[in-house]
Amino acid sequence: MATERIQMESELRDRLRAPATGNEAVEAALSRRYDAGFVTDIESDSLPPGLDEGTVRAISARKHEPEWMTEWRLKAYRHWLTMTPPHWAKLRIGPIDFQAISYYSAPKGPKYKSLDEVPRELIETYDKLGVPLHERAKLAGVAVDAVFDSVSVGTTFQKELAAKGIVFCSMSEAVKSHPELVKKYLGTVVPQGDNYFAALNSAVFSDGSFVFIPKGVRCPMELSTYFRINAGHTGQFERTLIIAEEGASVSYLEGCTAPMRDENQLHAAVVELVALDDASIKYSTVQNWYPGDENGVGGIYNFVTKRGECRGPRSRIVWTQVETGSAITWKYPSCVLRGDDSAGEFHSVALTHHCQQADTGTKMIHIGRNTKSKIVSKGISAGRGQNTYRGLVKIEKGAEGARNHTQCDSLLIGKRCGAHTFPYIEVKNPGAIVEHEATTSKISEDQMFYCRSRGIGEEDAVSMIVDGFCKQVFRELPMEFAVEAKKLLEVSLEGAVG
Amino acid sequence: MGAFLDSMLAGRDGLGGVRAEAAAALLRDGLPGPREEAWKYTSLRALEQRRYAPAPGEATDVPALAAFALPGVDGARLVFVNGVFQPALSDLQAAPGVEILPYREHPGQLDKDLEGHHGTGSADAFLRLNTALVEDGASIRVVAGADAGAPIHLVILGAPAAADLAWQLRLQVELGAGARLSLVEHHLGNDEHAHLGNLVANYVLGAGARLELLQVQDAGERATLIRRGSFHVGEDAQLAATTLEAGAQMTRHDFRVHLAGRGARLESRGVFVLHGRQHADTHMDVRHEARDTSSDVLWRGVADQRSRGVFHGAITIAEGADGADAALSNKNLLLSPQAEIDTQPALEIYADEVKAAHGATVGQLDEQALFYLRTRGIPLDAARRILVSAFCSAVFADLQPAVLRERLDELLATRLPQAGE
Repeated sequence: MATERIQMESELRDRLRAPATGNEAVEAALSRRYDAGFVTDIESDSLPPGLDEGTVRAISARKHEPEWMTEWRLKAYRHWLTMTPPHWAKLRIGPIDFQAISYYSAPKGPKYKSLDEVPRELIETYDKLGVPLHERAKLAGVAVDAVFDSVSVGTTFQKELAAKGIVFCSMSEAVKSHPELVKKYLGTVVPQGDNYFAALNSAVFSDGSFVFIPKGVRCPMELSTYFRINAGHTGQFERTLIIAEEGASVSYLEGCTAPMRDENQLHAAVVELVALDDASIKYSTVQNWYPGDENGVGGIYNFVTKRGECRGPRSRIVWTQVETGSAITWKYPSCVLRGDDSAGEFHSVALTHHCQQADTGTKMIHIGRNTKSKIVSKGISAGRGQNTYRGLVKIEKGAEGARNHTQCDSLLIGKRCGAHTFPYIEVKNPGAIVEHEATTSKISEDQMFYCRSRGIGEEDAVSMIVDGFCKQVFRELPMEFAVEAKKLLEVSLEGAVG
Repeated sequence: MGAFLDSMLAGRDGLGGVRAEAAAALLRDGLPGPREEAWKYTSLRALEQRRYAPAPGEATDVPALAAFALPGVDGARLVFVNGVFQPALSDLQAAPGVEILPYREHPGQLDKDLEGHHGTGSADAFLRLNTALVEDGASIRVVAGADAGAPIHLVILGAPAAADLAWQLRLQVELGAGARLSLVEHHLGNDEHAHLGNLVANYVLGAGARLELLQVQDAGERATLIRRGSFHVGEDAQLAATTLEAGAQMTRHDFRVHLAGRGARLESRGVFVLHGRQHADTHMDVRHEARDTSSDVLWRGVADQRSRGVFHGAITIAEGADGADAALSNKNLLLSPQAEIDTQPALEIYADEVKAAHGATVGQLDEQALFYLRTRGIPLDAARRILVSAFCSAVFADLQPAVLRERLDELLATRLPQAGE
């Protein structure tokens, strides 16, 4: 792995050392700004727009869910009706008409029994996106659950994983095949009424991934989910639940894209992670939802609740995120460090360009003794982008010997962007050590001059400097994702200089 | 209406102009609740239920001058006891070009100053309360080019009275172009009263002016003290502020600095030392509004026993304020399992040619440093005191004259954990 990485990096370096790009190359690059913006022409079976108890029941019925699941959803829906949308974030959000959204959309036809039955258009969609669903899957060595609009269209390597006792399937399948596990864990980290968007998700969630790693098992391959929004006027509300039993470990990746549309589509997901004694979960996200155009028209509203709980002693949860897409990103992947000696980490690169806005960060709640957390957040603002880090480090009374280190750096590219940092530090135990540092700066003239004097074009120089700025986070990503993340940043920043 | 506002505003129907407006707004909105971000860590629930007698009330025991003298602070002196100006204890002799007007003797000036600052940040409940009811305080003006010389000593004293009082004070300080002023804001009192003090101070620094402000807050340990300082710093003007927060049961200190002119500069040093059930909440709000402005904020905090220290340090760099250079550091020591520190350094940046950094830490004494001192034969208690004291007095390192610095170190020493505790 290490040698591969070195090779990849040297390749990237070679590419960056290439002579300054001429106008033609820049033009070409600009035109491929959002590669994933195509629409797959496939017939879909959608619920009409609108939300009431009937909608919730209809979703539950389409998924042939048992009675308890329907009731669980309805309870969440009734609670949601009593809530008001939160306004505290530093975001300008257009009004969301919850009655104008279609809450369920799935490719038409019977449910596919195996990947061979998945229509060619869908397989091609994922091929185009570089997600291996078929033969290539074997080569890539990554198990994939592909979610298209509201449903999972296929999960690879299920048999191989099942041999080890690992359950990796869509949430709808899990409700049927492992109801005892779903009942036991669903909503225990993010309760139905946790916040406005989590309550909405609990009522109408359509699919998502379910992962269960039994006691003592190390998952032999990376698991991943690829989310794709395709249909217009729909929202995507997926729910992911990952459970690692005692001593188990898993690395999970998540990627997302959507077509270019001039409407703001809502994506309100909930992710829950549970790590028991000595378990370890690594959750990586490369988020590339459609960001809207240069004038801020269209793009996805990405309002997600992600939370992990280190329930057992010595458990560990690592969040890594690269957020380059979405018109608005609003999420705080968090860790509740309940078990003694448990550890939480959060590594993030968030980029806002044009009119994108991001209000993201993490919460580290230290409850157990000797709990440790580390936060590395890198924000890049370009164009008119507004990028906010908001985080909480809370040391409860019993968290003797707790330790936190937080580092937040912001890079400004351009005159009209903004970078903001709002950390909250609350300490109730004198045996804890909490450190926070933050810096904000622009790419300096000196750095640029140095690169230019070595014959590196302006765009490439910016790309190199940004790459260096983000390296600390990229290092945490599985290699395939690290390469993709680097590419995404380059594409997203095009046109930012000059 | 809670007991507090009732006791403050009942029967005050005769207010006019800006005062009536402020009172009406205060009655409409009440005191801020826990869901208001700026009051997240400071609850006013207990205060809401308290009743205070309206000031002025007769002070029964006013200490002698010597009790509040500070070495090296020997310019003019303004003494307020329980919110009332004391001509007999004061000395208004000042350098040429300096005008000191106590509002009790110049009510017209108070009305003018109130009108002048009407509307600025008026959503604050305590500013409204102050505007509605204030009758005392002073205006201090230094004409362009004048040097006020020796530090002016502003003594705000709480003294025992028949009932717990709530008093309002207003301060208006204006420095003309190139003027220089050194001012000491000194709060003190004893534990025999539980008054509420509410001080609103507005400072205007003209081009090239320099204000050196020392704030020594050593109020009585049952007192509640609310302070709000707004500073408008003009072109190339400098504000150097040093703050010590040691007294009061509950204190809230808002410190808003507008670096409004090109090249304006702020240097702020501060420390809070808390014990018992003290609660201190400091809100620094630094706004870089012009080019090439700079700010350097260094605050430290110590919380022992059941105390709670809150520090909010926000730096905003407005669009167009290129060349801004901002640094903020907040380090805290948490000495007891029942104490709490909440710190919140925030950056809001809308310009790109800037340098901005902040850091915050919460921790305890360095074990290695303690070990070192103990190997030199210093008992654990004494070693801890030495280290805590060194941690705090770093903020006074540049303070002049040395005798004043020593006095503050002595004051600090009395507030640190005592041997055997």
